[in-house]
Amino acid sequence: MPKWAMVFDLDKCTGCGACMAACKMENNVAIVDPEEAQAGRALFWMDMINAHEGEYPTVAIKRMPKPCFHCDNPPCTKVCPVRATYLNEDGLVAQIYHRCIGCRYCMAACPFTAKVFNWWDPRWLEGATTCFNPDVSLRMAGVVEKCSFCAHRLHHVNEVARVDDRALQDGEFMPACAENCPADAIYFGDLENKDSQVYKLSRSYRVSRVMEDLGVEPKVYYLARRTA
Amino acid sequence: MARIARAGIRFVILSVAGIVLVAVFIVVKSYSRARPSQPIEYNHKVHIENAGLNCLDCHVHAGDNVAATFPSLEVCRNCHNAEPVSKSAEELKVLKYVAEQKEIPWNQVYQVPDHVYFSHRRHVTVGKLECSVCHGDMKQQTAPVSVPYLAVTMDNCIKCHRERKITNDCLACHR
Ligand code: HEC
Ligand code: HEC
Ligand code: HEC
Ligand code: HEC
Ligand code: HEC
Repeated sequence: MPKWAMVFDLDKCTGCGACMAACKMENNVAIVDPEEAQAGRALFWMDMINAHEGEYPTVAIKRMPKPCFHCDNPPCTKVCPVRATYLNEDGLVAQIYHRCIGCRYCMAACPFTAKVFNWWDPRWLEGATTCFNPDVSLRMAGVVEKCSFCAHRLHHVNEVARVDDRALQDGEFMPACAENCPADAIYFGDLENKDSQVYKLSRSYRVSRVMEDLGVEPKVYYLARRTA
Repeated sequence: MARIARAGIRFVILSVAGIVLVAVFIVVKSYSRARPSQPIEYNHKVHIENAGLNCLDCHVHAGDNVAATFPSLEVCRNCHNAEPVSKSAEELKVLKYVAEQKEIPWNQVYQVPDHVYFSHRRHVTVGKLECSVCHGDMKQQTAPVSVPYLAVTMDNCIKCHRERKITNDCLACHR
């Protein structure tokens, strides 16, 4: 069984936000009013953490993209009363929207605030309704959603590999963010495949994971030579 | 006494009539819901037996893609262009569409909701399943499909998957 994981090379990342835009488009993530977004109700599957260091004029800006970490020991799935979110055999933390009852326990349990809640039925910019991605369903008001590692793309590549009667190749299953990163700072692949790029990078001396001491075993790795 | 009996009979007759009316209403209503009118009373049997066509001649992507797809007007035009080949009034409608170059707006009966991934290629080409397993004997179908042969429900998907030891991971079907 594969174990899908993502690596961000922060030394290459420019913080441009192309991953966030690609993710919104790919996954039909709804647009939220600016005031509501200010109130913390913005919907992002791929978020960006901002921090700065130092005083003007020598300010260093740090930006860190943050998807769902698809933890191997996920705290969110343990609190779901209806098993709408669970860890599947491919190491993906699934979110089955039609099963979700909107209790938001999982949001409270996630240490990384990776999950977001649909307070309203989705709203779209004018004209956007004509260009939904048909491979991803639209969520309704009252359900929790989050980054899926573009699991819908796995349907397609798995099937193509099955038709050709072969195993999946490294790099065949790529989420939209990794595909669209102009700096090639995002890597994606199977940790169980010892020849894959993410496996090698996950062993790099530059590697770290967010809040590693919690023991939730995130499958998203960050590479950075710079400290903290 | 007689008056009470007459009133009782009237009450019975009225309520029976009421029940019959409601029943007729429900039947008509469900019948009209179960049968989405197709623009043309299409006949599978004559095309497979008399015209010698295969499923894949018309549902061209049933073997190599997610959706089987309905035939485009282009397919019908191969045989139905200027002169009618039968005495059917339905065929004249086809000829009208062909003359106007307007696609026939077929209604889909078998349909999974947008949050479910179902692929014909996976089941027909990889799984080696006959169309009839899910769609019944379409070769004998003389009128448009009105009710699915195998209802498109999660129970039916899961039952077959369990019998054949195929995954029933929610994420395999849901998206
Ligand atoms: C000449 C073209 C043609 C051929 C050959 C053909 N079909 Fe069809 N099929 C159609 C058309 C047109 C419709 C839409 C009208 C209707 O429902 O009858 C349709 C409808 C269907 C539907 C109903 C789909 C839905 O959701 O409404 C199924 C199932 C189907 N066909 C299966 C088959 C199978 C199985 C075969 C082979 C045994 C076959 N067809 C051969 C043209 C064809
Ligand atoms: C390979 C040639 C061929 C193609 C392609 C074809 N047809 Fe036909 N069709 C026939 C023939 C032959 C008949 C006459 C059958 C008979 O009456 O014996 C017929 C008859 C019909 C009839 C009258 C059937 C009846 O009720 O008796 C309709 C309606 C019809 N076709 C619709 C279509 C539509 C719609 C398409 C495109 C999806 C189509 N046909 C594609 C050959 C074809
Ligand atoms: C495992 C069950 C199964 C098998 C086998 C199967 N189908 Fe289907 N078929 C479905 C389901 C489920 C749908 C609804 C799909 C959707 O909504 O996307 C469907 C839809 C269709 C439709 C409606 C239009 C469309 O674009 O999907 C046609 C036509 C069709 N099937 C033809 C066929 C033909 C021809 C075959 C054999 C080559 C076949 N099917 C084999 C289950 C099956
Ligand atoms: C008659 C049996 C049958 C029915 C009914 C059926 N399937 Fe399947 N399904 C199969 C078989 C056989 C395979 C395995 C194909 C292969 O070997 O890869 C499969 C595979 C799949 C897969 C790929 C699983 C994987 O390993 O990733 C999906 C997704 C799927 N089916 C969805 C559906 C859905 C949705 C429905 C109901 C609308 C459905 N199936 C109904 C027989 C069935
Ligand atoms: C083999 C394919 C398959 C699998 C596996 C599967 N589902 Fe489904 N599911 C479906 C289909 C097809 C439908 C649509 C049925 C319908 O419209 O009646 C559906 C519908 C649903 C619905 C109802 C949505 C509504 O609008 O009423 C829920 C909830 C659901 N599934 C949850 C789950 C959960 C939770 C799992 C995992 C334990 C799961 N499903 C596994 C195929 C599947």
